[in-house]
Amino acid sequence: MTAEQKQQMIEYILKRIRKPNLTIDENTALVSSGLVDSMALGDVLMQLEDVTHMRIPAGKVKPKDMDSVSKMFETAARVGKPQK
Amino acid sequence: MLAYRNLIQALESAPGDRPFITFWIDEDTRETVTFGEFRQRSRVEAAALHAKSAGRGDRVVIIMPQGIAAMTVFAGAMMLGAVPAFLAYPNEKVEPAKYRSGLAGVTANLKAKLVVIDKDFPDEMMECVSVGEETIFCRADGAASAELRDFDVEVPPDQIAFIQHSAGTTGLQKGVALTHGAVLRQIEHLAGALKIDRDKDRIYSWLPLYHDMGLIACFILPMVCHLPLAMQSPVEWVMQPETMLEVITGQRSTLAWMPNFAFQFIPRRTRPNRLGNYDLSSLRALINCSEPVRASSMREFQQAFSSCGLKPGVLQSSYAMAENVFAVTQSDLHADGPTCVWADGAQFRAAHRVEPVVEGTVGAMPFTSSGRLLPGHEVRIASESGAVLKDGEAGEILVKTDCLFDGYYNRGDLTAQAIAEGWYRTGDLGFLCDGDLYVVGRKKDLIIVGGENLYPQDIEEIAGSHPAIHDGRVIALGVYNPELGTEEIVIVAEVETEEDLERAPEIEREIRSRVVSTLGLTPSLIFLKPPKWIVKSTAGKPARATTLEKLQREHPELNIGS
Repeated sequence: MTAEQKQQMIEYILKRIRKPNLTIDENTALVSSGLVDSMALGDVLMQLEDVTHMRIPAGKVKPKDMDSVSKMFETAARVGKPQK
Repeated sequence: MLAYRNLIQALESAPGDRPFITFWIDEDTRETVTFGEFRQRSRVEAAALHAKSAGRGDRVVIIMPQGIAAMTVFAGAMMLGAVPAFLAYPNEKVEPAKYRSGLAGVTANLKAKLVVIDKDFPDEMMECVSVGEETIFCRADGAASAELRDFDVEVPPDQIAFIQHSAGTTGLQKGVALTHGAVLRQIEHLAGALKIDRDKDRIYSWLPLYHDMGLIACFILPMVCHLPLAMQSPVEWVMQPETMLEVITGQRSTLAWMPNFAFQFIPRRTRPNRLGNYDLSSLRALINCSEPVRASSMREFQQAFSSCGLKPGVLQSSYAMAENVFAVTQSDLHADGPTCVWADGAQFRAAHRVEPVVEGTVGAMPFTSSGRLLPGHEVRIASESGAVLKDGEAGEILVKTDCLFDGYYNRGDLTAQAIAEGWYRTGDLGFLCDGDLYVVGRKKDLIIVGGENLYPQDIEEIAGSHPAIHDGRVIALGVYNPELGTEEIVIVAEVETEEDLERAPEIEREIRSRVVSTLGLTPSLIFLKPPKWIVKSTAGKPARATTLEKLQREHPELNIGS
């Protein structure tokens, strides 16, 4: 992941979390800490597709694979496919 | 269906080579079983449970991820004449102490003989599982070591088949005990209303098996009617809700159920450029159930997916509850969707009565029907004093049916409160009109202002339509004002961003204006709160009572509701 991509994801997640004065970095636990709930994970996943320009195949990603921004990019690299 | 004495007989009578479950794991992977394979695996599980000393009448709690393995343990338990119950699987966010205490409460109430978890149950979650001395705790291991045998147990129709849990916090959930006979009668009625064709129909589901909609409509119904079922885990679905469209397209599913929120949730998370991949023309009914039906949600789904072949009239509705096995009503599948009536809003709130008006009339309230009663079902609408109300008059919905539950398991006190002279008090409010039942909300949530009945969902929809308010994060409450002798409307709404609070007076004014112009009543207090302020329930919905308590703690000077 590039620094720019990482920053894009962090900014999106912060906006989505809507928690005042919160800061997160690429290793902040998001799902296991309850910052990102299951209903929001789908939106985060769609953003990950946009940022990486990849298609993340449905069903290949578990909530634990999305627990931090770093893990999200690792997951995208592992299962992502080129967008059609 | 009524020819069967029990659910296992229904399963045993299915043709062995007929496809049963296709469990969608990911876009490249499926697990499939025929009815014959499912039976065989269930027998193996029955042997494993028997080896753990489970037998007739013993309660078996199943805590396993959604999938064929969990379903075969459930069927295996019934083969022994035991009484299975699914409970929700713990997730990463669960507080171990809270889950453990809830589970201990449920297993103690059920006096469970066995608690079965899956072989891959994560070690870090083990601290969530704690059972009493009389309960045996075991892992389902595919029963590799069990000796396969047939259990020819005679199970009469009046024996409890399984226990499903009504809504509520884990541990406080009420176990609804259902007999084989009651379940088979429900399936008979439902299959008739849906005009099930076992040669053509195929069911799709992402619904959890610990909920009546997932368990009855999407496991027991196909098992008894011998229908193919395509299913996926709710955990997978919620991450990519669009996958539902993919599975329906691939499996050519004809029937599915889901709660009202999903009719908005899915369209908003489906990329327009992928719509061309989906074909929903096989669907003949997608049924809105388990929440009050909102016409706007149905319309959003219809508009989003018409281009995918979703036919007009496919979106339908039903009113269902665990205590009645499942459905009480079902809309007419031959009509163009559920009936909608428009009522004079002021009249409805003041006199609790429907005065029909032309669609779109200023101040009118739309109500979407949940359909007509299934055979063997009666509904009464009762006033606060218990008097039976006429068509078009709103009150509490009471039901009396031939598939009603026997009672809450080991909770005679709760059963006595809920059932009187064969009528079950649902706690839901609604009205009958021309044979259709309209459900308008929960009795305990009703706001009564100067004799006018207000349904919080209507107020929340209006307040939530303001662009500065976060979607779904509004609560409307009725708070008693002793000086006025009536309730006042209090709205608590979360703004999108902290910065929005800087223009709180302007937003409040706009919300107030929207509520007044629609309902003709003024909210007495509007609280705009920062993101994440409103308390959510374990089901992810705003929790009214807990949010009110928080409000009272934060604003003691206002004496809200005290």
